[in-house]
Amino acid sequence: MSSPILETKGLTRTFGGLTAVDGVDLSVESGRITAVIGPNGAGKTTLFNLIAGVYMPTSGDILFEGKTLGKSPPHRRAALGIARTFQNVLLFDNMTVLENVMSGQHPRSRYGFLEAALRLPKAHREEERIVLASRRFLNLVGLGMYADRNPASLPLGQQKLLTIARALATEPRLLLLDEPGAGLNALEKQGLSELIRRIQEMGITVILVEHDMDLVMGIAEWVVVLDSGQKIAEGTASQIQKDKKVIAAYLGDEEGAG
Amino acid sequence: MRFGVRALYQNKWAILAFAAMLALLIVVPLSPVLDKYTMLLTFIAINAMVTLGLCLLMGYTGQVSLGQTAFYGIGAYISAILSKTYGVNPWLAMLIAAAAAGLFAYLIGFPIFRLRGNYLAMATLGLVLVVYTLFRELGSLTGGPDGMSGIPHLSIGGLHFNTPATRYFLVWSFCLAALVLSQNIIRSRTGRALRAIHGSEAAAQSVGIDLSRYKVKIFVLSAVYASIAGSLFVHTLRFVNPQPFGFLASVMIVTMAVVGGLASIWGALFGTAVVRILSNEVLLRFGSLDIIVYGLILMVVMIFVPQGLFVGLRDTFQRWRLKRARQEAPT
Repeated sequence: MSSPILETKGLTRTFGGLTAVDGVDLSVESGRITAVIGPNGAGKTTLFNLIAGVYMPTSGDILFEGKTLGKSPPHRRAALGIARTFQNVLLFDNMTVLENVMSGQHPRSRYGFLEAALRLPKAHREEERIVLASRRFLNLVGLGMYADRNPASLPLGQQKLLTIARALATEPRLLLLDEPGAGLNALEKQGLSELIRRIQEMGITVILVEHDMDLVMGIAEWVVVLDSGQKIAEGTASQIQKDKKVIAAYLGDEEGAG
Repeated sequence: MRFGVRALYQNKWAILAFAAMLALLIVVPLSPVLDKYTMLLTFIAINAMVTLGLCLLMGYTGQVSLGQTAFYGIGAYISAILSKTYGVNPWLAMLIAAAAAGLFAYLIGFPIFRLRGNYLAMATLGLVLVVYTLFRELGSLTGGPDGMSGIPHLSIGGLHFNTPATRYFLVWSFCLAALVLSQNIIRSRTGRALRAIHGSEAAAQSVGIDLSRYKVKIFVLSAVYASIAGSLFVHTLRFVNPQPFGFLASVMIVTMAVVGGLASIWGALFGTAVVRILSNEVLLRFGSLDIIVYGLILMVVMIFVPQGLFVGLRDTFQRWRLKRARQEAPT
């Protein structure tokens, strides 16, 4: 529980004149549920996109399990063990629910065009293993009975669970959840919290970006607060709730200072 | 339970339909009544291989290409030139042509797939125009607009593919093999990767799929299919000129793919057959206005059956079976 699974050092990303992430130093403890919070435009999603490799840093460095990620592209980071979900879901609507999860097994299987085209025994064995593993992840998020449905036919709450199952199918060691609670009702949020704890028990480190403070304070063991691209505070949930700078960032400077 | 029933019907009827098609295909060249369709069906099989490549690329992977006839032409001309002018064994010529088309697709694939959507369509269209112009203008090599005749036929040992029936069986063997191989690819890890790219490129990357690698690979495969089709075409017709490899031909291939159903392996064959039969049996009466009719067909299908006729008919049939099954089932 002590060594950091992910570190950022002076991580900076600018878009034109705008500095979206500004010299952020992070150290994410392995196994600990970490939340990244902050007002709109604080740079939370940009931070995720930097970790996932969608954007490359303007300066600074990201270390995953002690090794720099450098300029490695998103697909290679997925293979290294970094998985993510998206704010806007992004499921594959041209596949069934089960196939969506099966596609998550991509970096954990190794057979290509030739084995597939000729239906060699290796392809057969791998497919059977992929189906079994994917059903397990689908059952874990409670969508087992919808395996043959089209993901677009599911309500938003279940679509979000499906994106988590797809991300888990890549068998990650670090899971980035981008606003998993947005658009969910109270009951669904309850289920989400339980699911995130179960993911933690599987030995996966979870970082979530979230606006819902009840959800964050309920499950996060460490909270990082961003404002205008800079880290303004970090600590346990109760420490953060009392932090003056955090209150100022959320309520506006005048009220916070007064 | 409902899905179980659906899967069962799908399987049973798919096998029946496949068996019926095979039986028909075997009967046609041997029957004195139907054998007049042998030539038409031979060209359907050749065209279907080109359409199939486009379906894999456009329907499954979501990458538009108006350039498939360029590879079709490369296969045709390399086979023609090597076997006629240089006396190379036609099979070896076919193999060299396929390798060259694949290598060419690989080399232009990385820069071309930096483009998306309309830009990709324009770039692939440019490819057709360039290749077509080369066929026409490199007269000393290609015979120019008049083309080349007297291209040797294919043979294995003592078996010569020089009659309509033998060429028919040869070409259909290739076409069915390509269809089955493609079906296997689509139902695999690779197929899921391709469909994932179509669904969402960002999400595909997030599950470890290397976008450009898969786009280029399927582009190469589609080029190899088209090239083999081109080789079969010249050894069947024993003549080649630039006309089947131009822009209009490329639009025809897109029409065939759309009519059958872009995201459907067997739809590629179905769409090719529908369009070719229409053009042979009906559209001839329209003379040079036929291109207007193709345009209309393309529009009507896109508006009313965007998933393609093959998929549309299959789904309608399945719904009808399910409805009957429910009515017959004691409640």
